[in-house]
Amino acid sequence: MIRFEEVVKKYGDAVILDQISFEIKEGEFAVLIGPSGCGKTTTLKTINRLIEPEAGRIYVEGKDIMDANPVQLRRKIGYVIQEIGLFPNMTVAQNIAVVPKRLKYSKEEIEQITRDLLDMVNMSYEEYAHKYPSELSGGQQQRIGVLRALAASPPIVLMDEPFGALDPMTRNVLQDEIIRLHKKLKKTIVFVTHDMDEALKLADTIIFMDQGKIVQMAGPDEMLENPASDLIKQFMGKRLSENGVNSLTAADFMKSHPASAYRSDGVKKSTQIMARRQIDTLLIKNEDETYAGSVTIGNIRKFGKQAQTIGEIPVTPNAVSYTKDDAADSFEKLLDSDSDFVVVLHDNDTIAGIVTKTSMARAMADALWGDES
Amino acid sequence: MNTKILLEHLYIVFASVIVSIAAGLPLGVMASLYRPLRKPILWISELLQTVPALALLGLVMLVVGAGKTTVIIGLLLYSLLPIVHNTYLGLETIDQGIKRAARGMGMSRLDRLFSVELPLSFPMIFTGIRIATVTSVGIAVFATSVGGGGLGSIINQGIRTQNMKLILSGTLTLMAMAVIFDGVMALIEKRLNKRVSA
Repeated sequence: MIRFEEVVKKYGDAVILDQISFEIKEGEFAVLIGPSGCGKTTTLKTINRLIEPEAGRIYVEGKDIMDANPVQLRRKIGYVIQEIGLFPNMTVAQNIAVVPKRLKYSKEEIEQITRDLLDMVNMSYEEYAHKYPSELSGGQQQRIGVLRALAASPPIVLMDEPFGALDPMTRNVLQDEIIRLHKKLKKTIVFVTHDMDEALKLADTIIFMDQGKIVQMAGPDEMLENPASDLIKQFMGKRLSENGVNSLTAADFMKSHPASAYRSDGVKKSTQIMARRQIDTLLIKNEDETYAGSVTIGNIRKFGKQAQTIGEIPVTPNAVSYTKDDAADSFEKLLDSDSDFVVVLHDNDTIAGIVTKTSMARAMADALWGDES
Repeated sequence: MNTKILLEHLYIVFASVIVSIAAGLPLGVMASLYRPLRKPILWISELLQTVPALALLGLVMLVVGAGKTTVIIGLLLYSLLPIVHNTYLGLETIDQGIKRAARGMGMSRLDRLFSVELPLSFPMIFTGIRIATVTSVGIAVFATSVGGGGLGSIINQGIRTQNMKLILSGTLTLMAMAVIFDGVMALIEKRLNKRVSA
């Protein structure tokens, strides 16, 4: 759909794009990201020839864009920018109609398109079509900005930090809307941002740039798992150290201070602990604090009458992890075993905590939704 | 007060303002569109305003001859500055985002100019027209010196005959005219501004 071949852009001695090559497939949501000055916006602007490269070729739908008339080319590529850029002298409907009108759509057709588009973002035609941009909130203005770019159904939409100037709440809502629109309309979207959360949320493919070069081009999962450089790691920042499941240990997710008893403790005392904590299994420690096993309520019922101390009741072996083990490993042990929990031990075999299915669910929620949960 | 003289004065003002718009607007657009022309256009329109009005009319008269045409040409040269400047400024101060969006959506240069940039600059251009109109009311007084007639002739006559009443009636009419033009146009300007402010 969009193919870059060794594209070079310079301003004087400064190399902005350094022989970049990549391809974005039809229907793909590609996000360009990187530190400021990395060339991501320049890359975007070369696609609709707002900036023309010194060398290399850019193909859109198989055709070299330098062979096209720039005005005609741009009408087939939607364009949304951070400054929104609605024309204040035109109503919402007139703004949406800008490109269709220039492509000689009929009046009826344009009205139908405007109605359908407004409908898609739940803005009523009757209420909004004849308002001026100054009468809309920032979020509504950018919604119209997106609709205006979609009006002539271009196969490609370029978005240059479109939600960067909006407040976080509105940004979130518009991100959700653009995901929905992308699913529905299947456009090829090239989206520039400096916000990794936004990139991870929206992208099918993330193109990470630095100093005019592409450092890594990969899906969000792949980039989270195998960031190609320290800079990308930095960009992922908190997500990796706190929320990436891979780098987390069992200790991060265990419940500490589980109910436990010494072997020498009486059966009665032990059952009272279990009743008080409302649990059906009790961890048993040796006198030197090391883990001995666990006793279930079933076994206590069966053998409790003959036994004086809890240590005399047969223990059930449990899956065991150590605090420094990968959280993912302990989750796997938990799923493989019949038990409801995995015991987490310190290096000296004393009890550190347990990992339950609840802790696993929490870990997954954190990894999927990060800070929002 | 002679109605004919009043109408003559109004005619000179209106005609000269219309000609100034016809000349000043394209010049302002050119100054904004073509970098090399920017300095010469702005500089010449400024220079013209530094010539004393009476002298300017005199110079034009020597070339064109006495009459209303002379006055209109003189006032045109004098009114150029506010109109050219405000057109140029209006176009230059349009939000970069709006300009970029227009270009990125596939609007041609002229399309952008007529559909977006000039409509958005219009309040600023209108301010220039207002300034030109109000100054023209005053400067048209000199019309009488180059055979153009207008309210200047009444004041002139009053001065020659030392007739206080005549001088006052001419002056007050001029002042009223200027105030009314200014007031009405300022009102329109306010409404224009309200519409295009983003």
